Formats: sequence, C-alpha cells, structure tokens
Amino acid sequence: MDNLTLRQILTIAATFAVAILLGVTPTPGYAALLRPDWVAIVLVYWCIAIPERIGIGIAWLIGLLLDGLYGSLLGEQALAKAFLAYLALRFYLRLRIFPRWQQAVAVGLIIAASDVVVLMVKSLVHGSPPIWSDTAPMMINVVLWPFLFLILREVRRRARIS
Amino acid sequence: MGTFLGWSIKRPSNFTKFVALAAVSVALIIADARHRHVATAVDGLLARAAYPLQVLAAWPATTAATVWHDITTNAHLRRENDHLTRENRLLRARLTRLGALTAEVQRLRKILKAPPLPGYRETLAGILGVSSGPFTRQLTLDEGRRQHVYVGQAVIDAHGIVGQVIQVGPDISRVMLVTDPNSGVPVISKRNGLRAIVFGTGSLRRLKVPYLPMTADIRAGDILMSSGLGGVYPAGYPVAQVERVVSDPNEPFLTVIAKPLAHLNHHTNVLLLWPLAHVAGTWHG
Repeated sequence: MDNLTLRQILTIAATFAVAILLGVTPTPGYAALLRPDWVAIVLVYWCIAIPERIGIGIAWLIGLLLDGLYGSLLGEQALAKAFLAYLALRFYLRLRIFPRWQQAVAVGLIIAASDVVVLMVKSLVHGSPPIWSDTAPMMINVVLWPFLFLILREVRRRARIS
Repeated sequence: MGTFLGWSIKRPSNFTKFVALAAVSVALIIADARHRHVATAVDGLLARAAYPLQVLAAWPATTAATVWHDITTNAHLRRENDHLTRENRLLRARLTRLGALTAEVQRLRKILKAPPLPGYRETLAGILGVSSGPFTRQLTLDEGRRQHVYVGQAVIDAHGIVGQVIQVGPDISRVMLVTDPNSGVPVISKRNGLRAIVFGTGSLRRLKVPYLPMTADIRAGDILMSSGLGGVYPAGYPVAQVERVVSDPNEPFLTVIAKPLAHLNHHTNVLLLWPLAHVAGTWHG
C-alpha cells in the first residue's frame, strides 16, 4: 500500500488515454453498434484491482472529460461513470473471486446499469426514447471483458501496481 | 483522518462521495440543459482541450484514406477523371439552363411582388468524426468559429439535408443529424405540396412524420423537400422519402415512416450553407 510511483501513475493514465482514444475513433455507422464502452471496462478493472487508488472521484473527472469529447450534456457521463465506480467498489471483493465468465456477466451488468443512467438522462432531457440497438454495446462489453482483463492484468503486473 | 476545529474528520464513505458528485452532476446537467450560456464556457474549455485528442483519434482513418489514395493506380485515376469530366460537362449544361430558369423565377416573383429567393454560399467541410459517444450520432466537422460557422447553420450533402450545426468551437463544430430525436425539419411533399414536419427517431435509417390527419394525401415513395419554414433549413432541398404509411383506426394520426435521403453513413465531406442577404436574378455557379 505504498504510494504509487510516477511511472505507475503514468501507466494507469496511459490505459485510460488509450481507452478514451478508442472510444472516439471515427467508425462507420454499423461498427458504432459494436463499439464497447472501452473507458467503462478499463475503469471497472482498475476499481477492482486497486480500489484504494482509483475511485469515484477519478471516475467522475474522466466522465467529465468524456462529456467534453462526446458533446453530450455536461455531467451526463460524469454521473454515469461515478455511479459505475460506486457499483464496482461496492462489489469488488465479490467480483474478484468470481470465475472469469461470471465476472464478465457481472461487470457487463454494472456497466449496463450505468448506461441506463445515461439513457435515462437523455430521455428526461431530450425526450428521446431508448431504442433496441442501444443494447448492442452492452453485450459487446461482456464478450470483451475476459480478454481486456488479461491484457490489463499483464499491464498491472509489469508495472508492479498492487 | 484527523481533527478540524475539534470535530473528528473521517474519510468520506464511497456512498457519501457518490451522492455528493451525483448532486454536482445533476446540477451541471440542469445548468447545461436549461441555461446553455452558463455551461458554454466550461463546455468550450473542454472542447478546446479535446481538439488534439479528436484529431489524434481521426488519424488512423485519415492516414488510411491517404495511403489508399497513394496506391490507387494510374488507370483507376484516369477512369475516375474521365467519369468526373463527363459528369461535370453534363452538370454545367444543366446549370446554364438552371441559370435561365432562376432568372425567370425571380422576374415572375417580382411581378407577383413576392420577395426574391434567398441565395446561399457553400463551403466544403471535412468530417473529423462520425458518432461521438455512446447512444448519440453526431458529425464533428473541421470548421469552426474561425471559419464563421454558426449555431443553427444548415448542413447538406449531394443528396439532401444532413442536419444543422448545434455547437461551435474555435476549430471544430458539431452537427445534429436529421435522424436525431431532437431534430425536426419543416417539409412539403414534392408531389402535392402537403406540409409536414419530419422528426428523427435515433436510428440512421428511419424518420417519422407525425401529426398527419387520416385524410392526408401521402403515400410510399413521396419525396419530402424542406419548405424553408422555421428559417433554419433553406427551402427546396430533399430531406426524406416516405417508406410506409399505416393508418390504424385506433390512432388519431397516420403513422408515416420515411428514410433520410442524405447519405448519413458514408460522408467524407459535407456542405455548409451561408445565406446571402440578397441575390439579384443571377445564379452563382
């Protein structure tokens, strides 16, 4: 539980930067449906791995940056990502011991819960009803989690973050 | 954690932290939705900070396009050039006729004592990104306040109306598509001049035309053109084609489904329109 070194902080920041870049890379219309919520997955990973360091405050700040990038209502993503971090911190002990596929489903569910917050804000403010295709990225999150988990765990071990 | 003025301070629990930040978020959302100008300053700052990221994110796509251009063969270029030259001649021939017709329309409108038709100046704008963020479809253009883009400006492509500018940064601007649930375009039917409003549904392939009475004369295949009412979109550009008309006796209005005519899925460039104050009977070709 020592403080993180600068190198370790930069490593964590880099994973978030890559996730944010992947999130805003332009894609053709149909591929946007298959775009997972990269930032949410990386955020949940770090919340589970080092819950004392990455928490609700950082999640909120990242969400605010996303609002600027996405052009969504200011505070919409911030609220969703803070909620996501809260859920991840609430269940991190349980999530850690789940078998991988069960973990994937559970993580998918809490990310979906935070997505529902976004959809609720959108329908409250804009009156735009959610449509079925909105659920596609939520499924992709579940499928991708096991792979991203392995990659991020490798990153964490190499940087000796614990 | 320590004491402060005799009070013992504990590290706030996760729940407390979440509630506090959620309150701030909700305040921001309300500020942003209700009082655009309050949040614009923060938003502008974020957009400015995000600009390099956006360019970086668009880099793979732009590089791929450049590389593709570089390796395209000479024969292909020559064929394309031939094709474009032919098309250009054809369009020019039509344009001369259009010029004569425009002059005639303006002369007739003068006789009718109607105001002259407004003209428009166009500029090509490149697209930095399609679809920013989950659950939204917007275009990000590489032109901003420096190029005199303004909020509410109409954006079109070769096939129809794309949308309108909703946010302008120093070098970028965001476009709300006609398929956005917040978008409404006043239209008239090309066949019989029936007035209606086309709303987005959130899906890129679907528009709806609500509030048409059961007796309205509209059928599948009708082209809906912008009527110019409302002042945002210029009159006479195609917007949508009616796909399906369902009249359910239980509903007060017709259910009309249309598809957008602009190619919203594969853009590389779109046109930004600036209205010109007055155009005499000349055609700006």
